[in-house]
Amino acid sequence: WKRDEFRNCNQTPFCKRARARKPASCSLVAHDVSISDGDLVAKLVPKNPEISEDQTEIKPLILALSVYQDGIMRLKIDEDPSLGAPKKRFEVPDVIVSEFVSKKLWLQRLSTETIGADSGPSSIVYLSEGHEAVLRHDPFEVYVRDGAGNRVVSLNSHGLFDFEQLRQKKEGDEWEERFRGHTDSRPYGPQSISFDVSFHGADFVYGIPEHATSLALKPTRGPQVEESEPYRLFNLDVFEYIHDSPFGLYGSIPFMISHGKSGRTSGFFWLNAAEMQIDVLGSGWDAESGISLPSSQSRVDTFWMSEAGIVDAFFFVGPEPKDVMRQYTSVTGTPAMPQLFSTAYHQCRWNYRDEEDVENVDSKFDEHDIPYDVLWLDIEHTDGKKYFTWDRVLFPHPEEMQNKLAGKGRHMVTIVDPHIKRDDSFHLHKEASQKGYYVKDASGNDFDGWCWPGSSSYPDTLNPEIRSWWADKFSLQNYDGSTPSLYIWNDMNEPSVFNGPEVTMPRDAVHLGGVEHRELHNTYGYYFHMATADGLVKRGDGKDRPFVLSRAFFAGTQRYGAVWTGDNTADWDQLKVSVPMVLTLGLTGLSFTGADVGGFFGNPEPELLVRWYQIGAYYPFFRGHAHHDTKRREPWLFGERNTELIRDAIHIRYALLPFFYTLFREANMTGAPVVRPLWMEFPSDEATFSNDEAFLVGNSLLVQGIYDEKAKHVSVYLPGKQSWYDFRTGTVYKGGVTHKLKVTEESIPTFQRAGTIITRKDRFRRSSTQMVNDPYTLVIALNSSQAAEGELYIDDGCSFNFLQGAYIHRRFVFKDGKLSSINLAPASHGNVQFPSDAVIERIILLGHASGSKNALIEPSNDRVEIELGPLWVQRSHGPLAMTIRKPNVCVADDWTIKIL
Amino acid sequence: SSKPKDPYLGVAPEDDNYYKSSAVIKCKDGSKEFTKAQLNDDFCDCPDGTDEPGTSACPSGKFFCRNAGHIPLSLYSSRVNDGICDCCDGSDEYESKVKCPNTCWEAGKVARDKLKKKIVTYQEGVLLRKQEVEQAKLALAKDEAELSKLKKEESILKGIVQQLKEHKEQIEKAEEKDRLQKEKEEKQKMEAEKKANEENFKLDGEDTGLRNEAVKQSDGKDNDVANHDKSGFLDDSSMRQDAVEDEKLEVVLDNDDGVTNSPGSKESSLNGVEEGSDVPENTEGLSKEELGRLVASRWTGENPGTQSAEADATINKADEDNDFSKETNHEEYEGYASETDDDSRKYDDVDVEDEIDDDFQEEEHDDLSSSYKSDSDTGPDLSANNPSWLEKIQKTVRNIFQAVNLFQTPVNQSDAARVRKEYDESSTKLSKLQSRISSLKQKLKHDFGPEKEFYSFYDRCFESKQNKYTYKVCPYKEASQAEGYSTTRLGRWDKFEDSYRVMVFSNGDKCWNGPDRSLKVRLKCGLTNEITDVDEPSRCEYAALLSTPALCQEEKLKELQHKLDLMNKEQPQNHDEL
Repeated sequence: WKRDEFRNCNQTPFCKRARARKPASCSLVAHDVSISDGDLVAKLVPKNPEISEDQTEIKPLILALSVYQDGIMRLKIDEDPSLGAPKKRFEVPDVIVSEFVSKKLWLQRLSTETIGADSGPSSIVYLSEGHEAVLRHDPFEVYVRDGAGNRVVSLNSHGLFDFEQLRQKKEGDEWEERFRGHTDSRPYGPQSISFDVSFHGADFVYGIPEHATSLALKPTRGPQVEESEPYRLFNLDVFEYIHDSPFGLYGSIPFMISHGKSGRTSGFFWLNAAEMQIDVLGSGWDAESGISLPSSQSRVDTFWMSEAGIVDAFFFVGPEPKDVMRQYTSVTGTPAMPQLFSTAYHQCRWNYRDEEDVENVDSKFDEHDIPYDVLWLDIEHTDGKKYFTWDRVLFPHPEEMQNKLAGKGRHMVTIVDPHIKRDDSFHLHKEASQKGYYVKDASGNDFDGWCWPGSSSYPDTLNPEIRSWWADKFSLQNYDGSTPSLYIWNDMNEPSVFNGPEVTMPRDAVHLGGVEHRELHNTYGYYFHMATADGLVKRGDGKDRPFVLSRAFFAGTQRYGAVWTGDNTADWDQLKVSVPMVLTLGLTGLSFTGADVGGFFGNPEPELLVRWYQIGAYYPFFRGHAHHDTKRREPWLFGERNTELIRDAIHIRYALLPFFYTLFREANMTGAPVVRPLWMEFPSDEATFSNDEAFLVGNSLLVQGIYDEKAKHVSVYLPGKQSWYDFRTGTVYKGGVTHKLKVTEESIPTFQRAGTIITRKDRFRRSSTQMVNDPYTLVIALNSSQAAEGELYIDDGCSFNFLQGAYIHRRFVFKDGKLSSINLAPASHGNVQFPSDAVIERIILLGHASGSKNALIEPSNDRVEIELGPLWVQRSHGPLAMTIRKPNVCVADDWTIKIL
Repeated sequence: SSKPKDPYLGVAPEDDNYYKSSAVIKCKDGSKEFTKAQLNDDFCDCPDGTDEPGTSACPSGKFFCRNAGHIPLSLYSSRVNDGICDCCDGSDEYESKVKCPNTCWEAGKVARDKLKKKIVTYQEGVLLRKQEVEQAKLALAKDEAELSKLKKEESILKGIVQQLKEHKEQIEKAEEKDRLQKEKEEKQKMEAEKKANEENFKLDGEDTGLRNEAVKQSDGKDNDVANHDKSGFLDDSSMRQDAVEDEKLEVVLDNDDGVTNSPGSKESSLNGVEEGSDVPENTEGLSKEELGRLVASRWTGENPGTQSAEADATINKADEDNDFSKETNHEEYEGYASETDDDSRKYDDVDVEDEIDDDFQEEEHDDLSSSYKSDSDTGPDLSANNPSWLEKIQKTVRNIFQAVNLFQTPVNQSDAARVRKEYDESSTKLSKLQSRISSLKQKLKHDFGPEKEFYSFYDRCFESKQNKYTYKVCPYKEASQAEGYSTTRLGRWDKFEDSYRVMVFSNGDKCWNGPDRSLKVRLKCGLTNEITDVDEPSRCEYAALLSTPALCQEEKLKELQHKLDLMNKEQPQNHDEL
């Protein structure tokens, strides 16, 4: 990691200035408070309208507070456009989903109240059942309060709010900024915004990816903190990032979630795409400020700073963790339904060199009976790093190669990065430069930066017209050598510019409409990802779901595809930090994520590689990848035993594909992530709040990673009052207890929660494609009242027909000795059907009293046998569980099975 | 999915009885038993898959397809009814959306033809191999005979050299005595003259000085043979020169701020990524393009200064040709340093120095043995086929000893010269002899295979041209890759692996940001020794294929013939082989 190559807060003037501010330094008060166009509006003016130091008059700011369904408050603060600012400040387009806009509640009236010991009034509007939005006039503060009048989330409670208004440049103004030989011309001068946000009733805050750090965010300022950078949100291509740092990585989501002993979860999202720095303030940070908030509850204060843009902030009231997830994803969209194949295992390397290599790797998977679904080609497959082209010496027959894979139900992914080679013979470059589709540099020429191909320019995908042009490049006609089974990988879209400041694009580069790069930097990769995903939708005539993996991301990326955690390293610390990284992404809407299994840089020892596969099998996005200087590490290269262990890990993922796919649908419907921190399912269990070594898959499977070499024992905390069943053996463990368990090389500790039902497919095919008609196994883990439930969602795995109702969605409920399959699809089930002949071949009951020999199926009235069987058929060892043999009921039907 | 029509589908013929003999069948792993009704009922009862040979129900099961007309196949049961035709008789897809036509006859014919061709190759190859083995045995016997003869000769010659040495030393002692005597006489004479003629003192003094000088010189000469200071000094100077180069390198590295390319920082960057390991880097002086290349190089491991990844090979070539390495290296370094400032890639090889040393020794060794060879080809004196050379020496030496009177004073000058000459010649011969012995021993130490079938590989190199590269594989020595004038060593001979089916060359030239290069050569039966398919499956880990009669083993031929017999036997009745 090259720390010096990147700016720290002290080298970033707006951050340094903001951090130096003292509490209560904001002198704004709210004036002219009224209801207008369904919003609460006001003007913010300085209390004593003196002339500021540099003799410019401070103009009033416009505040608008609006309210949306489901307890969402939106606060906008901007300059008054009628007062002749030199430039319109940037508002981030195409992140908020259009459905959200229609959920606005048209405010009719406000009430005024003098609260507590306040000297002045506050204006209050209805927010949701039990919540109100409050604008305190003097000192200015905005907050959400609950029915008891307690603050939930508040802004400017500490008076740190500051808004640098755009000015005309005057003689003597030094606006340029220099960093390591790069000069930022800053033609519009200082324009940053900062403010404090407090989460009341909270003990921890989470979110604001992407950082390689713990799940619960450690304080960055305060009496207990020696010295720390704020959490930085600035999309950067960081070479060999370290495993514990607030440093900004590839993507940014300015969304924070709080949680605490009170059991309340709330959230705050600032829609702003400029560089952001966020301090988590340790308790006692404001000891000298003299400000005391009325609540006696525990509280987490945070401080948000951004270089440009406006205030466009969303407050989410919760109160449960999943409520916040639903509220946040109602603003930025829920995760897209992925292609089924993309939820299986991916095999990648920089680089599979040629067609022979591809064929060889592909056939080795078959030879070793290891399933995989996707083979990836990195940058070397192109002709001189010109994307959409092939190195025809290495890949003379790309279509044939893809068709061969497709013949086994497999897919291919090629890389398409945003840097376009400045080569006049390259049609894409010619077209883009002729049409003026490139981002411009500060002097108005096409920006020319250095990346893989050498001198490169970058399409300006902020612009919808340019996105549409880019999308067209993915049609089968335009992308020579592509076939319908080819999907796309967007790398380097921060964007990475090797010779740019901080390895990215200069902040004074200009996008269409005169938007400065500084204003939208964190969304560049997002728009590029969007354009690429749109391209795949267009290619498939709107009938095929896209699959695009992106490295850079922003709020809303979940609608376009998967992301991975970038160029990690093959060491144990990085294995460990991958879990909080993936969990944090899930908490901020990005469900479909994973880390490179094995670690991108360096050579993992076989033990580390195996452990990584064992945990990677539970990442929502499961891909093995490696740098080109590393030794080959395909699963069969480390001796028979390790091959077996890796095969087993991959098999587990394939067995759980129906379970994962159901969870992806849940995420798609509700925003709840596929993998979750324990506290999301156990919000009142304090022991879970900062646990980021274990996680839950859905609400039913607890996975504990092994992060130490040659570990003999591991401590696993199993939350809740109900017990847990060992996922491999069925052994019961008590909940609410930390268990010290023996560690085996075979697996990492995994447990099924009592009261849940998991669906599996236990036949291992070459790829997920061949599993479509395979029968299911249900694993019912009974709770103390001998009950359990779970869901199964099935559709064609690739089209958008599910939007028209072409899917099967069942709830399995076991109680009173009877298992019932209940239809969850709405009665008026759309016009397209998804038929399936698939049956359930085996039902395993954990925690059921033994002795029953038969079960009766209704309505068919068939009797089936019950026997004692293993939890996994290929493993004979371990205790046996009650197994209903061959019920062969159809997953699509209603039925009940009664234990006799 | 449901059970297949044939209750015994997927059962291998040798297992027929196992399944048919009783009503209750045991799982092969002994864990359980199952009824006939449970056989192929599409539900897995045996963890090892015994009960489901014909369905996909058991994850660890195997499906057998007969493939009449072709080779029978044992598949993972995950292939059964998965919509992909795996068996040429189509039996694996009995309940599937795809139709799998029986293609065994066509496919079998192709396979049989291929097998037949292979058998023909093997038949011929087995004969070639036999010849090789015979020749190797003879040659080895010859080598051994030569070695023992050389050893004998060595011991005789050693004796002679020793005797000559003693003689020489006695002569020299006598000469020294003579000289001292003469000096003494001279001195007395001088003193007498001094007395007689005081005025000429000054001139005389100078004379003495001159003479003393001459004496000193001849003293030194005596020690010359034993004292190899000279060559030692040369080595030193070359080392010093290298050290100077190193300093220069460091300067270059400083200039571009240690572009992460020094081996130390590379290690830390790859393995232990720590906060402390980042080297502050001043990139301000770089042009935009230089900066771009520099940052890109972190990921690619490529030389930021040049587009070509293999530029470092030039140096290695220079290392190898030790004769001009000192000069050339010097120039190369200079040239590079001035040409591309940020190119530190070539210099990160700390090994360079060591390699020069190693090479030097090796070359020296080679030189001697080759000069020995040329001697033995042309000169009669050291030829192994001519036993008389040693006798001749013995005779000559005897003659000398008889003729030379050691106690004669003064020493006979021509006798002394003869002894000296004879001593010089004999010890030169002895050292050549010894070097030949050591090279033979070196050779015979190697593992030439169970039947010495790889003996002939010892003095051979196999070359192959692939695109712009020429690969050269010299078994028991080294392997290299040449592009134009630059050569990269892919590895030094290490060992055979995988029962003599793979030759391993390891510890080749270091890869920048990667491991030391290495090469594995897989061997297969072929009629000529030919290297093909050189490949780099993982960065700097090469693989190649060598076809050679040495691998055409008779047992393998029998196996193939047996396989062909089986295939012919399995042919359906209604087909005739054309």
